[in-house]
Amino acid sequence: MAGTNPAMTLESVGLENHWHESRGLFGPNLPVPMDYYLQQLAIGLSLGMVYALMAIGFTLIFGVLNVVNFAHGEVYTVGAFAGLVVISAFAPPLIVVLLVVVAVGALAGVGLERIAFKPFRRFSDEASLKSRAMREATLMSSLAVSIVVREAVEIGFGSQFQTVPLDRLLNSPISLGPVTIVSGDVIILVVAALMLGGLQYVLKRTNVGLSIRAVSSNPLGAKYVGINTDRTIIWTFAVGSMMGAAAGILVGLYYGAIFPSMGFIPGIKAFVAMVMGGLSSIPGAVICALILGFSESIATIFVPSVWADMVAYGFLIVTLIFFPRGIFGGARDRV
Amino acid sequence: MNRRDLLIGAGLAALVASGGAALAQQPVVKIGYQLPLTGNTAQYGQDFKNAAEIALAKFNASGKPFKVEIVFEDSRSDAKEGIAIARKFVDDKQIVGVLGDFTSGVSMASAQVYKSAGMPQLSQTASHPDYAKISEWQFRNITTQAQEGPYNADWMADQGFKKIAVIAEQTDWGQTVVSNFADEVKTKGGEVVFSEFFNRGLADFRPIITKIAREKPDAIYTGFFYEDGAQFLKQMKQLGLTIPVYSTSAAYNQKLIELAGADAEGMHLTATFLPSNPAPQVQEFVAAWKEKTGQAEPGQFPAQAYDAVNIMLAALEKAWPEPTREKVRDALAATKDFPGVTGDTTFDADREPAKKLTKAVVKGGQFVAVSN
Repeated sequence: MAGTNPAMTLESVGLENHWHESRGLFGPNLPVPMDYYLQQLAIGLSLGMVYALMAIGFTLIFGVLNVVNFAHGEVYTVGAFAGLVVISAFAPPLIVVLLVVVAVGALAGVGLERIAFKPFRRFSDEASLKSRAMREATLMSSLAVSIVVREAVEIGFGSQFQTVPLDRLLNSPISLGPVTIVSGDVIILVVAALMLGGLQYVLKRTNVGLSIRAVSSNPLGAKYVGINTDRTIIWTFAVGSMMGAAAGILVGLYYGAIFPSMGFIPGIKAFVAMVMGGLSSIPGAVICALILGFSESIATIFVPSVWADMVAYGFLIVTLIFFPRGIFGGARDRV
Repeated sequence: MNRRDLLIGAGLAALVASGGAALAQQPVVKIGYQLPLTGNTAQYGQDFKNAAEIALAKFNASGKPFKVEIVFEDSRSDAKEGIAIARKFVDDKQIVGVLGDFTSGVSMASAQVYKSAGMPQLSQTASHPDYAKISEWQFRNITTQAQEGPYNADWMADQGFKKIAVIAEQTDWGQTVVSNFADEVKTKGGEVVFSEFFNRGLADFRPIITKIAREKPDAIYTGFFYEDGAQFLKQMKQLGLTIPVYSTSAAYNQKLIELAGADAEGMHLTATFLPSNPAPQVQEFVAAWKEKTGQAEPGQFPAQAYDAVNIMLAALEKAWPEPTREKVRDALAATKDFPGVTGDTTFDADREPAKKLTKAVVKGGQFVAVSN
């Protein structure tokens, strides 16, 4: 920062005409520090919701397979591009776009499982089922799929930001007293709550959910009592990827930024939230995603924004050193 | 048909045949072009490649005594890749000149290889002040922030803006945007009340925008490319901030307006290329670009690449016959008043181009030239 001097003098010059009069935060009565912090908190909440949206599907798949699905970020990207294609072609209402994207996500999840995960489960003897090497080989295969998909999208669409029809963006401002949020915040909040609630219902009350939980807590045991583990795993991928794809199009429309490598950063943040939450606890991951969003936004109050990414990595390191089972790990059920 | 006609006919046929043979054996001169064709910055590299192919096709079709071939290599905007490509180009004895890379960082890393091997390098976009200082082999076809920063600071001072917030991307280039601008603001009696860097590709600018709002600046000066620019402008409007925004020629791209829509209205920036310029070479390039890419009008970067390639081709022609790397370098250094689409280019003793900057503002979904 050579040659710059961010002097913080706040003389009251009559320049209010540059400010939007109708909104509290930027109204003529500045400075009001409380409003400033409230606005940063609101931004933190919406960042956290975005991370949570991604973390739910990520954690579900980890919970069942005990291995990271590196291609989850690409499912997110594919969801966003599928949504964009549907919007450009038919311009249907958002709910229809979401349904199509969810269907594409399910297909992507099943295909991903077939290509990257199934081949490593072809031996069903006990030694192979218990083998860490067999399981962890999917780290590489899912990473390979993610690279291939990302490059393919790049060849097909180019690596630049896609042009999203401006009227479809979820960013109309909503004023809440001193704080400004946008329409996408509300939609993302509702969708994330629905996902979390729906998933808890499925996991606790349906047969598919019961078998997912059984496979998640003891795959071999589940097999012994007659659960079709293969089909359960496919279901998990379908459900997890539906959520990933929905997150992709929502966040894509929220920021108006749809591009081939869009899944990378949210993938890392979701990974950190998952580790903090205890690897296999979905509510834990959601809470930690919110903590992460808040912390990043609050961190920008005190340090330059280039350091905000350090918050996530800092949390990751602190969690691994002091809470090796995650902040909400330990006592909880898997998934 | 009498005998005389027959004789003339045969002579003509022989002439055509020999001409054809000469065409087939026409010597080929090779130059290298390192640029990002995949990865996060591939859109820029693809634009350069399209621009280069337009310039090359025109050159090869113009009946010169030799043909030129451009070897494109994908650097992914990665310095390690850039150095590997530079070594490859240096080892190929047929290559007498190199264009690229895109970013200052990769260009400067590769420049070390070209410096020690003695290969002329002409970047269309590397604008870091230290790039051309590396050795006598480095040239560029872009104005640096040493020119743009003070120019913009003066422009903003003329508008009566005293308290200015500055944000720029966290890169070598972004650092020069801030430092060159801030120095001139101080000289003009203004004050930089806020200055911060962000990581390129940042999704959410709102925490920074909220911080800027707290400082109540008269105007914001920004060092970003069009994608970050579109995000910044959209999110600024979301938060209801209506402070004037000024930017560099790096943000000059029709895509900025496409991505940000009405939120881009009123943004000020400097440019060296406006597709609406009626000069014949500009209109020829714009037409060729539309035909080749099917896109809208070219932005500033492809225009710079187009000029860079043409300057290199002109240098090859000057170095002909038997062009060597030394002769091409000397020919580049002697470039004077080259009539390009980004204005006339002359390299000074430090191999820096002097270009005329145009002030522009986004108005009605277009970049429009303004006088102040």
